[in-house]
Amino acid sequence: MGIRKYTVIGALALAGVSMFGLSARAEDVKLTVWSLDRDIQPAPHLVADFNKLNNGIQIEYRQIQFDDVVSEAMRAYSTGQAPDIIAIDNPEHALFSSRGAFLDLTDMISKSTVIKPENYFPGPLKSVEWDGKYYGVPKATNTIALYYNKDMFKAKGLDPNKPPQTWDELVADARKLTDPAANVYGLAFSAKANEEGTFQFLPWAQMGGGSYENINSEGAVKALTVWKTIMDEKLASPDTLTRGQWDSTGTFNSGNAAMAISGPWELDRMTQEAKFDWGVTLLPVPQEGAERSSAMGDFNWAIFASTKHPEEAFKALEYFASQDDKMFKNYGQLPARSDIAIPETGQALKDAGLKVFLEQLKYAKPRGPHPDWPKISKAIQDAIQAALTGQASPKDALDQAAAKIKAVLG
Amino acid sequence: MKRLLSSVRDGSGFDIVLVALPLGFLFLMAGLPLLYNILMSFQEVDMFSLGTFLRPFVGFKNYTDLFAQPETWPILGNTAIFVIGSIAGQFLIGFGLALFFWVNFPGASWLRGLFLVSWVMPGLVVGAIWNWILSGDFGVLNFMLRETGIISGNIFWRSDPNYSLYAVIMANIWLGTAFNMILLSVGLASIPGDLYEAAELDGANAWQRFWTITLPMMRSTIGAIVSLGLIFTLQQFDLFAAITSGGPNNSSNVTQYWAWDLSFRQYDFAKGATISVIMIVFVMFASVVYVRSTRHEVRG
Repeated sequence: MGIRKYTVIGALALAGVSMFGLSARAEDVKLTVWSLDRDIQPAPHLVADFNKLNNGIQIEYRQIQFDDVVSEAMRAYSTGQAPDIIAIDNPEHALFSSRGAFLDLTDMISKSTVIKPENYFPGPLKSVEWDGKYYGVPKATNTIALYYNKDMFKAKGLDPNKPPQTWDELVADARKLTDPAANVYGLAFSAKANEEGTFQFLPWAQMGGGSYENINSEGAVKALTVWKTIMDEKLASPDTLTRGQWDSTGTFNSGNAAMAISGPWELDRMTQEAKFDWGVTLLPVPQEGAERSSAMGDFNWAIFASTKHPEEAFKALEYFASQDDKMFKNYGQLPARSDIAIPETGQALKDAGLKVFLEQLKYAKPRGPHPDWPKISKAIQDAIQAALTGQASPKDALDQAAAKIKAVLG
Repeated sequence: MKRLLSSVRDGSGFDIVLVALPLGFLFLMAGLPLLYNILMSFQEVDMFSLGTFLRPFVGFKNYTDLFAQPETWPILGNTAIFVIGSIAGQFLIGFGLALFFWVNFPGASWLRGLFLVSWVMPGLVVGAIWNWILSGDFGVLNFMLRETGIISGNIFWRSDPNYSLYAVIMANIWLGTAFNMILLSVGLASIPGDLYEAAELDGANAWQRFWTITLPMMRSTIGAIVSLGLIFTLQQFDLFAAITSGGPNNSSNVTQYWAWDLSFRQYDFAKGATISVIMIVFVMFASVVYVRSTRHEVRG
């Protein structure tokens, strides 16, 4: 009995000493950051630079694959292993903030001198909001616009400085530019049955006065009818239904499509691959003077509610935000900020394109925000595919989608 | 104690250990996940309750909801077409090839081995290759059909709802034929040659020999192959992910791909589990057929 007592006391003493020893060495706060950025993208560099500051906070970085971001994060959070900071795709943000999985940053942002809501584009900012509070900080942003092949415009007698501005002009130009004998389609875009299809269609519906809550409005039906006209008249490849944006724009770069709807992520590849004169213009609107709209892509930073170091994690976000001005130059990504002037790269086509995208960003609207966004998105994708394959009229297809979305919204 | 030990070393105890080991392994690696899956199909599963077992029970709600969805029956129909089409194609071509190589011309055995290449390739790679072959505007298949004058305009294999399911079936037949051929070759090789000699002496022609000797002797092999084929085609996921993603408009969607899509794209884990349970019933059926047909196996 006596021996056991001493052993317990001894163990306790040892534990106390080692705790003391540990806490003495662990004055650095350790944070973990998860993001999908590879080594040529911002996050790992931001983390490395932050660690060099030696300000008592050390960050450990972990890269996750695009497809795994949500499932990994969910699993980690539900088992109490969540990282402190994560980069999450903007339509999925509300899913986490609505469940209280992300930390409410409203107070910290109001006190911050670095992160100010008024410096951000309204679209990206809205995607981090839930219930009037901020649950994150936009990491970067992108949107879609219309690329067009100026050489083909000239060859078909169109003015290369007057790209189509309205839906009617877009269809009319596409008709003129389509040349089956030369293997050229008028337009390349993506109506794929995944998030990309929603990403491309929703701006059209919004320009027509619709929205995801009101997807069967007259304007949205008209938008889908225009898409159907483009597909039925073979002004775009039938493979548009199963091809993503990257592959579709590939056919534009190789000269097999005269126009393409896609985002700024294409700029670098196009500068290298396209052997013709090209330009970018704003996404065409239903009629002259109509409201503009655009899709908004890219990721947000968020802090998990389970973090033990909210202050330090927010400090890290402040540092990340302070480096936004170098984002385009170093990594080719657009900061979600309206207060940062992006310096020119010296490549005329790329710089001209960038200007259009920055203009288009002003009209970018987030998808949602809604915690059940994947289901809403699926309903929209189903409608697009049903209409374009001719299995339902645009009106019927969108009516069905509206019913499904209504069930989700409750 | 000693009795027990000796029984384990040599007696009924040994048999029990032999049975218990694989049973325990099976229960851990296959039984538990299966039960968990069935449990999920009766619960309301939410991505934030993934870590717990005790979630609200909803009875058969997931099942009734599933069958209330307009796409459910078409997708089940597609699955049936996919399974029957794939198995029929794989089996017929595989049997044809097996009979062809059975003739045993010089080099037959290593040529037969080369056919296995398709079976060795990962599904995603096969999918990517067929993706190029089936591509609408610049696909190899369209080019060949056009040059030979069979079609005048391009067929959009992946994007035309009338063709998309058959495009995947085509790729799957290519993928599975070699496996069928090898198993059938083994079956053919095990038929004793004197049976044919006797039949020939009795004046049976080639057709009669095939119907009265080859087919009946192959019965158990064929049963095994068809039920294995059912299991393999119900497992086929990679080709759908690589070629059509189930589209357009679910025209090439099948249950196995749909279950994944519901669980991991729409985060509706309960419905994904529900579809899996329905599939388990079919696979169980195939397994029973498989076990029964291999039980009768007598190799001469």
